[in-house]
Amino acid sequence: MIVKKIGDSMMTPLGFSVEENFAAVMAGRSALRRYESLWGLPFPCVVSLIPDEKLETAFAQEVDTKNLSGKCTKFEKIVLLSAAKAVKQSGIDPSSERVVFILSSTKGNVALLADENPDLERVTPAHTAQMIANYFGNPNRPLTVSNACISGLCAQIEAYRCLKSGQYDTAVVIGADVLSPFIVAGFQSLKALSDEQCRPFSANRKGLNLGEAAAAVVYTVADDVADGWQMVAGAVRNDANHISGPSRTGEGSYRTLMTVLDESGLLANDLACLNVHGTSTLYNDEMEAIAITRAGLNQVPVNAMKGYYGHTLGAAGVLETLLTMRALEKGKIPATRGFDEIGVTMPVPVSSESVDTQKNAFVKLLSGFGGCNAAAAFVNGYGL
Amino acid sequence: MNTRVTYRVRLTPECLEMDGKRVAEAVAGESFLTQLYRMNKMDYPKFFKMDVLCKVGFLASEILLQAEGAERFVPRSDRAVILFNRNSSLHADRTFQQTIANPEDFYPSPSVFVYTLPNIVTGEIAIRNKYHGESSFILLPEKSQEAMNRAIARAFLDPETKSVLTGWVEAVSETEFEATMELVVSS
Amino acid sequence: MELIEELKTKMIEALNLEEMTPADIDENAPLFGDEGLGLDSIDVLELIVLLERNYGIKIADPKQGKEIFASVRTMADYVAANRTK
Repeated sequence: MIVKKIGDSMMTPLGFSVEENFAAVMAGRSALRRYESLWGLPFPCVVSLIPDEKLETAFAQEVDTKNLSGKCTKFEKIVLLSAAKAVKQSGIDPSSERVVFILSSTKGNVALLADENPDLERVTPAHTAQMIANYFGNPNRPLTVSNACISGLCAQIEAYRCLKSGQYDTAVVIGADVLSPFIVAGFQSLKALSDEQCRPFSANRKGLNLGEAAAAVVYTVADDVADGWQMVAGAVRNDANHISGPSRTGEGSYRTLMTVLDESGLLANDLACLNVHGTSTLYNDEMEAIAITRAGLNQVPVNAMKGYYGHTLGAAGVLETLLTMRALEKGKIPATRGFDEIGVTMPVPVSSESVDTQKNAFVKLLSGFGGCNAAAAFVNGYGL
Repeated sequence: MNTRVTYRVRLTPECLEMDGKRVAEAVAGESFLTQLYRMNKMDYPKFFKMDVLCKVGFLASEILLQAEGAERFVPRSDRAVILFNRNSSLHADRTFQQTIANPEDFYPSPSVFVYTLPNIVTGEIAIRNKYHGESSFILLPEKSQEAMNRAIARAFLDPETKSVLTGWVEAVSETEFEATMELVVSS
Repeated sequence: MELIEELKTKMIEALNLEEMTPADIDENAPLFGDEGLGLDSIDVLELIVLLERNYGIKIADPKQGKEIFASVRTMADYVAANRTK
């Protein structure tokens, strides 16, 4: 039994479809813009924001507001919209008891806390997840994975296990986060933000940029996979080192990579690329390069997508997985936008240009606060 | 895979229960969480830096693992830490919001912000115990033992996972919290 | 001297050094590493906020903090020389 992708969608400032996003990435476009005082914040920042007007139009077209009570927040809108598109494309019956909805988000509706009398029940992403399940008439309790920046990959791993265990036949995974003064000021307080466009793995990198996005993927069980992507392994491991600082030895990431290679049977030479986190902070990129080298994968092309979108938090794991899938279908490894001169102690092959490939497998890698790390492996068709 | 629950701890603002038996009660004075920290003679000053969600989860895990009696603080990857709640890190979120609410007194606190993620408690437990295994935080629309049991059963699909430290850890304020934690092992 | 005591009190509060009193902190001892207070990277960031909020001192680069936050005494010297409030 295999776990196969049968639908996807994405909504980012670069486009509201996978096709538009892939074209924008291949054209080297970035959604990142500099704001001198975004929302009145007392510092400049570089972020990518989903335009409200375009979102309103798409929402009105795609979402049946009859099934909703009251007005939705921006977060709820992008979650519903991306879920609706992916469900429609997959052709599944979302009300089936064999279908489970899994949301990935770090901060969900946290912006509501700025209200004078905030609706505290609604702040948790668990509320949004239930709202999606209700919208689609799904009878199962939805899951929300909230593991900081690795959530989008954890949600897919959770989906994989939901299907592998026989608990469900189909899983709809939605990764989403929107920005707010809360999130931007928080990352600024950690001195993690760059006031310029980020430069993953580069010697002159200064920090990360934040971005808004939603992406959804539908996985289902199948007997065979003549074409299309399957998820073949996933693992989550902890550094057991520090709640916010990446491990100096890349311990958790190294362990996820080793587990995923072992479980999938994939060898370094099978992999088109490692699509890594590459946040462009000093320590993250250094840590990933060490983990990759320790895992014996330092000959595999490494690419990162933060230069196009910034760090999209709970969306990142889904968005970056889907873009890598689309790119490999077209025989391309997208450029790491913003990369110039390698600036990690263990050199890994990062490229500022897109590269052609014939290979059909990749590993997605992420790490996050709480010392957590995740990796998952994906193969297209019979693949290797 | 067959699994069984070995130990179970329940921590509320009123009392601490071990395998259904009441073993400690809150007395007037310091917060019950600080009382438990002192009673168990934990030499771990980081405890006082934690937000209430982490304190509750951390204490429950400490008491459970002391009961287990296995050798501690040795690096291992066969134990996962998988916790659940509904309200995520709501209390830390509200505390951080206060540090940015007034433009005249705008000093976002980094040490509060790091706790505005629910999975930090799983990280604190992993750091304390040198657990390199899976760590995960799952939000549910309501407390459901059935939903948690299903998630725990799935966690054992990881080939390295032989036991799971798991449970419901909710803390919406300094005085409203609940942890029900158990150690599930494969048998 | 007064500034040193003031900084110790503010640090205990800002860093939640619950079981410490100002007398427990040696102003010449290193703040980081295994000896001394054993503070970490988040503590440095919180100390940066403390200096900005109380003394109007802005430190953009945490790396700069290494020398400033070597001990309570180096911190006091820096505050005395650079405070704007």
